[in-house]
Amino acid sequence: MILDIYSFSTLTSSIDNSLHNMMSPWMATLTEFVLVGIVFLLFYALLGLFLVYLERKVCAVIQNRIGPNRVGRWGIFQTFADFIKLLMKELITIKHADKFLFNLAPFIVIIASFMAMAALPFAKGLQAIDFNIGIFYVIAVSSLGVVGILIAGWSSNSKYSLIGAMRSGAQIISYELSVGLSLLAIVIFSGSMQLSTIVESQADGWWIFKGHIPAFIAFVLYLITATAEINRGPFDLAEAESELTAGFHTEYSGIKFAFFFLAEYMNMFIVSAIAATLFLGGWMPFHIGGWEGFNQIMDYIPSILWFFGKTFVVIYIIMWFKWTFPRLRIDQMLNLEWKYLLPLNLMNTVIISFVVLMGLYFK
Amino acid sequence: MREKATTLYFGPQHPGITGNMMIRLKVEGDTIVKATIEVGYLHRGFEKLQEKRNWLQSFTLLCRFCVPEPDPVEESYARAVELLEGREVPERAKYIRVMMLELARMGAYMLWYGGQNASLGLYTMGQWSVGDRNYILDLFEELTGGRIYHMYIWPGGVRRDLPEGFADKVLRTMDYFEKRLKDYDDLMFSSTIFRKRTQGIGIIPKEKAVEWGVVGPVLRGSGIHSDIRIDDPYEVYDKLDFIVPTEEGGDIWSRALVRRQEVRQSIHIIRQVIEKMPQGEYYNRIPNPLKWALPKGDAYARTEAVRGEVGMYIVSDGSIHPRRTHFRGAAYVHAITLLENLLVGENISDVAAIMNSLGTCPPEIER
Repeated sequence: MILDIYSFSTLTSSIDNSLHNMMSPWMATLTEFVLVGIVFLLFYALLGLFLVYLERKVCAVIQNRIGPNRVGRWGIFQTFADFIKLLMKELITIKHADKFLFNLAPFIVIIASFMAMAALPFAKGLQAIDFNIGIFYVIAVSSLGVVGILIAGWSSNSKYSLIGAMRSGAQIISYELSVGLSLLAIVIFSGSMQLSTIVESQADGWWIFKGHIPAFIAFVLYLITATAEINRGPFDLAEAESELTAGFHTEYSGIKFAFFFLAEYMNMFIVSAIAATLFLGGWMPFHIGGWEGFNQIMDYIPSILWFFGKTFVVIYIIMWFKWTFPRLRIDQMLNLEWKYLLPLNLMNTVIISFVVLMGLYFK
Repeated sequence: MREKATTLYFGPQHPGITGNMMIRLKVEGDTIVKATIEVGYLHRGFEKLQEKRNWLQSFTLLCRFCVPEPDPVEESYARAVELLEGREVPERAKYIRVMMLELARMGAYMLWYGGQNASLGLYTMGQWSVGDRNYILDLFEELTGGRIYHMYIWPGGVRRDLPEGFADKVLRTMDYFEKRLKDYDDLMFSSTIFRKRTQGIGIIPKEKAVEWGVVGPVLRGSGIHSDIRIDDPYEVYDKLDFIVPTEEGGDIWSRALVRRQEVRQSIHIIRQVIEKMPQGEYYNRIPNPLKWALPKGDAYARTEAVRGEVGMYIVSDGSIHPRRTHFRGAAYVHAITLLENLLVGENISDVAAIMNSLGTCPPEIER
């Protein structure tokens, strides 16, 4: 039983009602659009900066260092300072670059990752749009980002950028298949693509537990392929520092570089949020069947904390990958996808269909 | 259809390059068809400058030949001068020198650990090993006053005796390193990706290795047992017990394995040196350096460094200045002829890894 005081529906519906009382229906809808947009923009920027800070602290812990500790207490304002510095820097456009595409690319990348936020269920009753094809929408818009990366590499008129962009194109397009297939596992289990329904279906147990071993395999495969999908180490070939200086964003400076940088971190948040929503129960609290007292205590923790807690656990795992694995070569990475992960995923999908048909999972 | 080759400039500002040098790569797709090494960013005229200095003043230049590991160069020069003059070195000084050289070797290997992994995108290793290298630098600071440039090994012995309790500190540091090397193994050598990235890459065949003039750990990685410490023992290496590891593969992985074992051998040597070190004089004092003339003649002394054999050839015309000095460094062979040969046919992703596995040192190339 989830306590209703923690539900955001009360808050959102009261705002909705008061807006409708004040103005005409279309005006109210428009105002809501603007409000949600502003909230998301603020959330996006702040969370992006926080994730950069978190990454620097996590990698410092792994590397026996202290990390940023000068700007503000524990250095929490370090990334803000960095961001202001990037805002004030000169925007260099190189000779013979395709100016229009060069300027367009960072926006495509950042918009693609921004759009995916719309469908995420952050807490009980806190979701901008509840699509009936929510998960499909998230996969679709987040894969738009690769277009921006390809454009960035192509329009920069730099060989390193071009190589980075081409690698990234090959990588993202191949790994998208596996990401889609591993998410399909949960779609089969819950019988819906709507994210709110998927979350509701985990009220009595998360899919990673309910779905037996196949769901766990799907989760592991998703973690690996999602890491590749967002160009993070050990799959960071697109920006491999010791090979391609900085890959597709070598020639970008100032705020345009910051856009790529923020988009990269927000993509990490989005894939982690999807993992948390689909496999780890979204904003549902952790319940153990039969332990009534325990379950009630878990219910007292607000759903938004559950969602962000799970998401940050997944984010930590993805960061952990980056700082403890060397980078793969491009041929090894494509081999891994086409020869191992994709066949494994296909097989897993068949097994899951069988499990669901026979009703072998915990209901 | 033949792809059109593109030229790719790798360095000198590229993050993957070691030091200030540049490789001009002709690339077809991802594969290198031709590599040309361009040096000249770091020419400081060491050899010419030495001719204007007296025999002792050269030491400030010698340590700048290769910043990560300056001591073997000093050792070579000091021994060449001693050879020419016939100056005796006290037994204790010899032991201290060996300890110094092995500590320097460990320090340089710590930098290699970092560089090799950073070239493959694993930056954690570098943060660990370079952080641990500080413990060696602390020892150097206490012993010589300098962390990077020591100028400690002088003709006639060493500049200062060991401070009080220094031996214990060295032993404690060695214990610490022995523990840490296990962590390094977990991160680096147990990693499947590291093995996959390095096996079969940058192969130096056994028969070609000698022909190309390869030396040091790179040569031992190709399966040829060769080490100046064994073949032409200097100081007290003939009284110490250690093995020189070799691996058969000839690729980056084999070279990494050789280096992995050599760090452990260094720890072993340092422990023996501390145990066997005799008491007594540490310095056979040289006369006033401003009036110190060496007899006419020439001398050559060579030392095993991390990069391989480094040797110093000096010619004296009987005055207080060298007539000519010549430095033979491993990096010249490794970074020019060897690298140009090795890079052909490799993927551009592996350039930095191959370079790091050869142990290049650009100032040494240009001297």
